Amino acid sequence: MSSQLSFTGFAWKNLRRRRLRTLLTLCGITMGIGAFVALVGFSRSFEHEWLRLYQSSGTDIAVLQSSLFNSSIDESIGAKIKQLPEVAAVAPLVFNLIDLTPDVNALVYGWPADSYEMDSLNFTSGTRFHAGQPEIVLGDLLAQTLKKTTGDTLTILGETFTITGIFHGGTALETGAVIMPLDQMQIISSRQGKVTAFHVRLKPTPAGQTYEQYVSKVQKEIEALVPGIRAEAAAERASNNQIVDMAHSVAWGTSMIALLIGIVGIANTMAMSVFERTREIGVLRALGWKGRHVILLILTEAGVLGLVGGLLGIVVGLGALWILSIMPQTASVVSLSVSPDHLVESLLIAIGSGLLAGAYPAWRASRLSPVEALRYE
Amino acid sequence: MSSPILEGRTLVKSYDDGQVAALRGVDITIDAGEYVTITGASGSGKSTLLHMLGGLDVPTSGDVLFRGAKLGSEMDLDTFRSSQVGFIFQAFHLLPTLRAVENVQVAMLAIKGRANHRVERASALLEEMGLKDRMQHFPNELSAGERQRVAIARALANEPAILLADEPTGNLDSVNTGHIMDILRGIRETRGMTLVIVTHENDIALSAPRHIRIRDGRIEA
Repeated sequence: MSSQLSFTGFAWKNLRRRRLRTLLTLCGITMGIGAFVALVGFSRSFEHEWLRLYQSSGTDIAVLQSSLFNSSIDESIGAKIKQLPEVAAVAPLVFNLIDLTPDVNALVYGWPADSYEMDSLNFTSGTRFHAGQPEIVLGDLLAQTLKKTTGDTLTILGETFTITGIFHGGTALETGAVIMPLDQMQIISSRQGKVTAFHVRLKPTPAGQTYEQYVSKVQKEIEALVPGIRAEAAAERASNNQIVDMAHSVAWGTSMIALLIGIVGIANTMAMSVFERTREIGVLRALGWKGRHVILLILTEAGVLGLVGGLLGIVVGLGALWILSIMPQTASVVSLSVSPDHLVESLLIAIGSGLLAGAYPAWRASRLSPVEALRYE
Repeated sequence: MSSPILEGRTLVKSYDDGQVAALRGVDITIDAGEYVTITGASGSGKSTLLHMLGGLDVPTSGDVLFRGAKLGSEMDLDTFRSSQVGFIFQAFHLLPTLRAVENVQVAMLAIKGRANHRVERASALLEEMGLKDRMQHFPNELSAGERQRVAIARALANEPAILLADEPTGNLDSVNTGHIMDILRGIRETRGMTLVIVTHENDIALSAPRHIRIRDGRIEA
């Protein structure tokens, strides 16, 4: 047996010495990172789903008032926007998050029966709805959750609708959604003549302009055409909309609190560990270890706690995200699409948290006088 | 004639703002390769003097010189301890989470460029101490005499010029005391190292060519 002793090996042996304490500390940082992976992953996947929603339907610009759910625009404005030479199609829509059953809520859209956005839906059974009729189509995930098929009925806000088709949407926002005729949605939500937003599809980008320049030019034209409304590029809209903003804020806020608890846990463990090992640190100093060697040892221990806690946290976070993506209450807005960047970011935050938590105990340990540390009982 | 390897010049060490004096102006010169024992009653200042000479503690006033260089100003204390001094303590001070062979390597972790030879050197030293079959044992699996031999191997890990031992046999029975002293004297003879031992035991004190007595923080004439 070689028993080569390395710095990291020494740190690991020190952590294994108090296994229960190390395990509990790991639980703390695991929960923090798990919350970060799940919540921030959730909010980013939500944003991602919005972007895919726009992209799959071919929407280039979203037109709305200041806030998404409170947005209420006169339906007639659509005709004005349509008159712009760059505009290929305008799709008015009304949408809201509605409780379908006590356990299941879903995004409910009102679209014109001939909206260009209907073309992006891939019907697995049945057909589109008809304007003026109490008819709806359901995303396949929602249909599965509600155990409904074509021909069944569904009651929404007290009105009964017949399901004319089940579609497979390209995004979680669609597969968990209900779509009904615009006029029906306006009636049940008491918004006759009003829409939440317009989705605008542009004609192909002219030669000599980039797509961004082209979209930006039309945005300005729309905003000049109708004072008081906002035209946003689809990609920008996906990241700027209020629901996404709110999801981001809640996710960061909650996970930072969880992380803080994890950091305090590591700091406490390292401080206790330094306190208990005062005499051993004195021995190391007597053997010629410089203050920076002691700092490196303690920080390595704290960093290893962060790294292992981070890896476990990623597993826990992905598990939580997977559960959210299959739960009826959240399946309509969450997909299990986590970017590798988010995982790397989580791991770096975990290691950084460990190092931050270990910094003070490490500094304190390095300041111990060798002879006083050796006398310590 | 040997040249001085360690010198203490008017060493004073006091605590509690000068209320308690552990050393009261000690002058001492130790030549390279010399074997010196220091005795004195408890609280006389003998361990404090050893700590000063080994760079573990700094005097309130006065200087310690290693081969003419002042410790703390002309020579860094950590570097001095890691490369020139090996300490042996009464309580052994082995690290409980490490095996014997790892305990010896700990001393070498602070020195650059020894990574490839750490295990070989630690194993060779333990073998020299008669612990070939105990290398993979943890301290709590070793007898007191074996632990002290691991501590001696650790003190020799960085090939120091000076070996400082603070009551090295204080926790040992008479058989192990004799064994440890034979090892220390053997090391001094074969390696030509300077050996300074603080002890309570007269037999050990008188076995050295030079014996220093300390009383109330001063060297007795």
